[in-house]
Amino acid sequence: MTDASLSTLPPALANPRKPARFALARRTIITPILLSLLILAVAIVTVMTGSRPFNQAMIDIMVRVVLVVGLYIFIGNSGVLSFGHIGFTCLGAYAAAWLTINPLMKKTSLPGLPSFLLEARLPYWQSAIIAALFAGLAALIFGKVLMRLSGIAASIATFAVLAMINTIYSNWESVTGATSSVVGIPIVRVIWPYVGAAIVAIFIAWGHAISRSGLALRAARDEPTAAAASGVDIPKERLIAFAISGVIMGLGGAATAHSIGVVTPDTFYLGLTFITLAMLVVGGMSSLSGAVIGVLLLSALIQALRWLEAGVPLGSTTFALPKGLQEIALGVIMIVILALRPAGLIGNREITLFRVNRNK
Amino acid sequence: MAHLSADNISVAFAGLKALSSVTLDIRPGQISGLIGPNGAGKTTLVNVLTGFQMPTEGSVNLDGKPLTNLKPHQVRRLGIARTFQGGRLFRDLAVIDNLEVTGVGLGMSRRAAVAEAEAMLDWIGISALGGRAAGTLPYTDERRVAIGRALMGRPAFILLDEPAAGMSAQEATDLSSLVKRIARDLGCGVLIIEHNVGLVLGLCDHIVVLDSGAVIEEGTPTEIRQSEKVRHAYMGTAADTALPVAEVLL
Ligand SMILES: Nc1ncnc2c1ncn2[C@@H]1O[C@H](COP(=O)(O)OP(=O)(O)O)[C@@H](O)[C@H]1O
Ligand SMILES: [Mg+2]
Repeated sequence: MTDASLSTLPPALANPRKPARFALARRTIITPILLSLLILAVAIVTVMTGSRPFNQAMIDIMVRVVLVVGLYIFIGNSGVLSFGHIGFTCLGAYAAAWLTINPLMKKTSLPGLPSFLLEARLPYWQSAIIAALFAGLAALIFGKVLMRLSGIAASIATFAVLAMINTIYSNWESVTGATSSVVGIPIVRVIWPYVGAAIVAIFIAWGHAISRSGLALRAARDEPTAAAASGVDIPKERLIAFAISGVIMGLGGAATAHSIGVVTPDTFYLGLTFITLAMLVVGGMSSLSGAVIGVLLLSALIQALRWLEAGVPLGSTTFALPKGLQEIALGVIMIVILALRPAGLIGNREITLFRVNRNK
Repeated sequence: MAHLSADNISVAFAGLKALSSVTLDIRPGQISGLIGPNGAGKTTLVNVLTGFQMPTEGSVNLDGKPLTNLKPHQVRRLGIARTFQGGRLFRDLAVIDNLEVTGVGLGMSRRAAVAEAEAMLDWIGISALGGRAAGTLPYTDERRVAIGRALMGRPAFILLDEPAAGMSAQEATDLSSLVKRIARDLGCGVLIIEHNVGLVLGLCDHIVVLDSGAVIEEGTPTEIRQSEKVRHAYMGTAADTALPVAEVLL
């Protein structure tokens, strides 16, 4: 820039007025707050019913909120479909198992563990944090390679990551117990830690979405060429999102482990990948509100179908859907929703107090 | 003084020679025009200058330093901005966010980027569009937003790929004066690709004419107007471009 040009530079451009500090955060924070209140409302109702099976079903929903929000952080912002994320959930779940099972049990069931893990017996919340960071680190390392790819190649490669993790965990007998169940993980039956995890996931996703990295990534999702021409380092921004979402997937893994007390590699494979992706896509792939609402709606639907399958007494007879209809009905409903609303139920928007807001 | 140059650039696509030994200079505060029939290689040259296309031969230099092997985002961070033939806005983002992306891409905080984006929209005269979703804009506004997005961080150079395509005469005149202000007031070196030869002749300090990947003529608007070669090249191509050119040239 020459002196001549600076002297004629319009004053507004030379020294633009910045908006108030945290203006963007204050304008958008209502979304994670409302979503958290929604989650809290579900939890309060659950506790009030006092029903054990209902409590367990709601814990499952909280865990799924964590997982689907984790998927949203990467898939929603980058637009790159990933089939690999449940692999990081697997890493988180086993890490939580390693850190919390009674050492006496571990020495016989998982003798191949290094001694610091064999001796470890951490409280669940500490193990969850470590498991989340471990999964995030793995995502960072895998991501370094994956983020160079784009489009279909990237999605297929993420699928390879899932298959790889599953294969390792299904065969490494002395460390993962191979395909047999790893039991003895302390079970946490109160809903509040799971609610806490879901809310933490929601706020992290929001923080990322309004960050510089989140904005740059959404730009690259729309128009990668133009984003690069705007100075955006696309592989770097994708990697950041991938690692953060890896952390959340790991947290979801730890939560799964403590909610059921047992893990096997196949808990974290195609079935869970399909159901979590379905929830994300039905709710609205590029919206945090969509991720949360997708979980709540599809979970309610699954629950209702299970209940119908089990049979509902109608007068003197029992009305029941044939077995297996649950999966079929779920598939049909998903297809219908997506045919009517290809961008998902919420689309590209976020819920706010007064209106439905366009994305940040 | 900053100086962007393409030196002896050749590009070959699987046998097709898109550019042969093209040399071009862009200087701050100057407006250069790049004209030539469809398929002449104009966009390819801009792609080479901005790191989107590796030249088969030759090099791009900024102040004498080669930019070879730099990725597009790195070229942009050195102050070489561009627009695209189709606008290519971030359709899901608001107009203001479209500009903000460049600020963020250049390392600004979101706060600083918003501030500059607002000032830039105001400077261009499209503040009213700030909150609109970019995907809903009409064509002419799209182009101006794309220019605003490229001007964020006030690059030393801006390369405009057919910014006036499809505009009415009045809109093209408005665009001309915007381009002049970019060069005069912001001190930017401008390269403009344009099919409307009248607009280019009235606007540019220097014009390069490409045909089939080679520079067939260059010079001031007066020199281009009088060039036999240019007249020949344009008369020999599609009737739609031949007509306005013929009017201006003859
Ligand atoms: N990526 C590409 N692969 C193959 N051929 C290309 C590619 N890009 C451009 N071309 C060809 O190179 C020539 C120049 O194209 P282009 O630079 O777009 O022309 P212009 O912008 O002057 O209309 C055309 O013949 C075009 O078909
Ligand atoms: Mg072109």
